[in-house]
Amino acid sequence: MRKIHYQTIAVILAFCLSIGAAFFFGYRASTMARQMRRQNEPIRAWMSVPFVAHAHHADPAILFQAIHLPVDPHDRRPIREIARDEHVPPAELIRDLQKALDKAPPKQ
Amino acid sequence: MSDQVLAALAHYGAPALFAIVAIAAVGIPLPVTLLLIVTGSLAAQRVMNVGVAIGVSSAGSVLGDQIGYAIGRWGGSALQSRFIRMLGSPERLRRIDDKAKAWGGAGVFFSRWLVTPLGPWINLASGAARYSWIRFTVWDVLGETLGCALYIALGMVFSDRVQAVGAILGDLSWALVAVIAAVLLGRMLFRRKSADAT
Repeated sequence: MRKIHYQTIAVILAFCLSIGAAFFFGYRASTMARQMRRQNEPIRAWMSVPFVAHAHHADPAILFQAIHLPVDPHDRRPIREIARDEHVPPAELIRDLQKALDKAPPKQ
Repeated sequence: MSDQVLAALAHYGAPALFAIVAIAAVGIPLPVTLLLIVTGSLAAQRVMNVGVAIGVSSAGSVLGDQIGYAIGRWGGSALQSRFIRMLGSPERLRRIDDKAKAWGGAGVFFSRWLVTPLGPWINLASGAARYSWIRFTVWDVLGETLGCALYIALGMVFSDRVQAVGAILGDLSWALVAVIAAVLLGRMLFRRKSADAT
């Protein structure tokens, strides 16, 4: 019976693992690419209000009003920082922004 | 981590961009692809100048790569011996040294923008294998400038889909690394089989 070295088994396992990883990442990328056009960009705490408006093709004024802030297109503070300044949790601001986006007509 | 890095970019702009890409190029895992795509989106929104963004991100990346190269080259005998232990023998280091000289330029160039997860390792390996510093720097600057320009341009084109594009590019990059690993391992297995047959 031919002797199989442990090193060869390790290389075979690593080879199978690499092929599996290539398929996994390739499949995930293609799935995301297909969904990209259908799904809206989720709002994150690092985004500023004008950034959210740009990503959702919405009027920034509506979003500023939704979180009770004066309309200032140059206000580039991340949502996380606005939340700190206003003493509210970021999740609450994100919820208010999402509600406003759901109601708002798309920007012309 | 991703949130803090992107919030820093949104708040501090170019200085944060420079610092983050430099730290990431040394080997600290930070979401640089997404960062560059968001930078592109900010450029599309006219918050950041596109030329400044490409210049600053390339300069930061090159600085980080140079630190990685220097650690590999002048990191002292302890680092060298650890690297040799990792490879198995001094003979292997000599073989890598020869390969680095033959493939060094292409390896450095493509790991800057195509197979980015390998970038920090290539920096260390190039330094440890004493690959020419001038050649390393030339390929590094070319690769980083192309990479930063490419990702920032993608961010400008898909400025309203930055997270999705970042995730897709990240996955594609890992898929490519896995394909390269599979090809190298397959070649190794084929050689072993041929050696066993003779």
